[in-house]
Amino acid sequence: MENILFNLKTFWQFTGFANLQWGHLIMIIIGCFFIYLAIKKEWEPMLLVPIGFGILIGNIPLFAGLSVGVYEEGSVLNILYQGVQQGFYPPLIFMGIGAMTDFSALISNPKLLLIGAAAQFGIFGAYAISLAVGFEPSQAGAIGIIGGADGPTAIFLTSRLAPDLLGAVAVSAYSYMALVPVIQPPIMRLLTTKKERVIRMKPPRPVAPTEKILFPIIGFLLTAFIVPSGIPLLGMLFFGNLIKESGVTRRLANTASGPLIDVVTILIGLTVGASTQADHFLRPDSVKIFIIGALSFMIATFAGVLFVKIFNIFLKEGNKINPLIGNSGVSAVPDSARVSHLIGLEYDKTNYLLMHAMGPNVAGVIGSAVAAGILLGFLA
Amino acid sequence: MKRIIKIALVVVGLGIALSSTGQNQGSMRINEYLVINTDDFQDDFGQQNSWIELFNSSYGTVDIGGCYLTDDPNNLKKYPIPGGDVLTAIKPRQHILFWADNQPYRGTFHISFDLINADEIILVKSDGTTIIDRIPVRKDLGPNVSFGRAEDGIGSTNGDGEGWQIMERTTPSTNNLTIDKTLQSNRMKALDPWGWIMAVLAMTVVFVALIILYVIFKYIGKFNIRQGKKRVAAQSGKDLSEVQYGELPGEAYAAIAMALHLYRLESETHDEESFVMTLQHTDRSYSPWSSKIYGLRQIPQLKRK
Repeated sequence: MENILFNLKTFWQFTGFANLQWGHLIMIIIGCFFIYLAIKKEWEPMLLVPIGFGILIGNIPLFAGLSVGVYEEGSVLNILYQGVQQGFYPPLIFMGIGAMTDFSALISNPKLLLIGAAAQFGIFGAYAISLAVGFEPSQAGAIGIIGGADGPTAIFLTSRLAPDLLGAVAVSAYSYMALVPVIQPPIMRLLTTKKERVIRMKPPRPVAPTEKILFPIIGFLLTAFIVPSGIPLLGMLFFGNLIKESGVTRRLANTASGPLIDVVTILIGLTVGASTQADHFLRPDSVKIFIIGALSFMIATFAGVLFVKIFNIFLKEGNKINPLIGNSGVSAVPDSARVSHLIGLEYDKTNYLLMHAMGPNVAGVIGSAVAAGILLGFLA
Repeated sequence: MKRIIKIALVVVGLGIALSSTGQNQGSMRINEYLVINTDDFQDDFGQQNSWIELFNSSYGTVDIGGCYLTDDPNNLKKYPIPGGDVLTAIKPRQHILFWADNQPYRGTFHISFDLINADEIILVKSDGTTIIDRIPVRKDLGPNVSFGRAEDGIGSTNGDGEGWQIMERTTPSTNNLTIDKTLQSNRMKALDPWGWIMAVLAMTVVFVALIILYVIFKYIGKFNIRQGKKRVAAQSGKDLSEVQYGELPGEAYAAIAMALHLYRLESETHDEESFVMTLQHTDRSYSPWSSKIYGLRQIPQLKRK
């Protein structure tokens, strides 16, 4: 009997209940909330379901030496987490994004590229704020990239600049990407007049296949020569797009934009979620990162919309840009373009802005990858 | 003609591939040497001899197996570095030390000449003719005083000694100049405590990159529009100035209209059936063990009203 009781007591010490702390409970609640948002509200379900469940996985209390935790070398989760730590998942996702992206809207109206550049102010605004609240420059760079609204880029850069902040930055970036429909509309309404919201833009011209093939080649060569440190992201993005547009590698494009990106999305979501172990995640710094992350999205939206308004001063009547697509300069594809479209429809039921907004939206992807390369070059 | 071009491309490709090994070996540098060693680094045999340090200045591993070290410009193959030794694969930005003790039987890293009697150190590629790097041996160096590059791998390779200096202390198998890894981040902190310089600089770079892309595609677009107009004009027989870009020939509009008309009236999609039946074989060997009907249910799909 004594033996049985001793064994039961030993077993109890091995269970999660015996090692439970408040932090674990809080994180489990956050994980469940993410899953709720994904299923009930359909906010970025492809990301929030794996991240939410990953948070649950990462916050089961463990006793030391069990070798199953994401931070324990050699464990299955740790091996899967290498893709995040070593930074090879994000470029693979970028290849898939490239293979899914149609740059036609941008090619037909290349001035929309500049909106994608303007919205990167969010990154450097957040960088300055992070420095002001006491973060080191490398940490500030990692936090600033949240403003690019690009999960893979944020993970890639943070794994290089501030691996300790990876969980907080990744969760913050993906959370705010899901919250784009909540964060952006008030700013867009605040900065635009009724007259501006109903500006009709010229329909995009047809784009020849040759232009679509040239775009990834020229785009890559140019951006990579200017910012070589962005090669992992830019190279894979433009390569993915080339295999789509070349017309002779359909199987590769289908794999990159389908099974491959799905597999990597599952792994990145789950392991990033699992990396938010309470003892690593529940720190005052994480709260600061969440606040700065929200601010960076706001700054990016401000910058995008204001840039279009200023740009319009120099454009002829008939060529003006609807400032409601300014928010799409952040690279949350296609959510921010959808926001532009829906807000536009509120003021003119026949003004379809989606295709126009996709231009700055994909330009934002390029812009944030370039910005990440610059931060890497200066701070790594 | 096409075949000749293909063959030429293959030959060029092979040439580039074959020469790439040589290019890698070309990143090796003689980095430091010590002539009189009385109280410095010891070899595995506990002896103090002259040594030569090589440095891989590239960011890829370089195998120096097959290369040569010599002190005689008329005999470039004096000491062949043995191939097949895993230790001759030098990792990126790493060093390797050779003992110039004239005792090559002691192993890969003991060479067949010493520096006391040498006038020059020459590193030669595995082809036995191409000199990668050379440096004269200074006779005025005191005991335990080495001569090396001020910064690893930086400086001339033609023997004029540019970038070389008498070292304050010997640094065998390690950096000649220790660089603080956190320097860059710290420098940014000191230089730009509020992040404004970074913001202005980085935004300028982002804008410049995308403005150049904008200009390039603006002109590619214009060129394409002009070409498209020419094509349409040629097809429709119109004057170039009358053609709108994206305009389709009248026949195309007629075909689209007809297709839509037939699509709406489904019964008229075919005036006459061809009565050709195509059978496509599908290899689906049935087994209750593999049947999804028995084993699985459909993945649930959330339906919204």
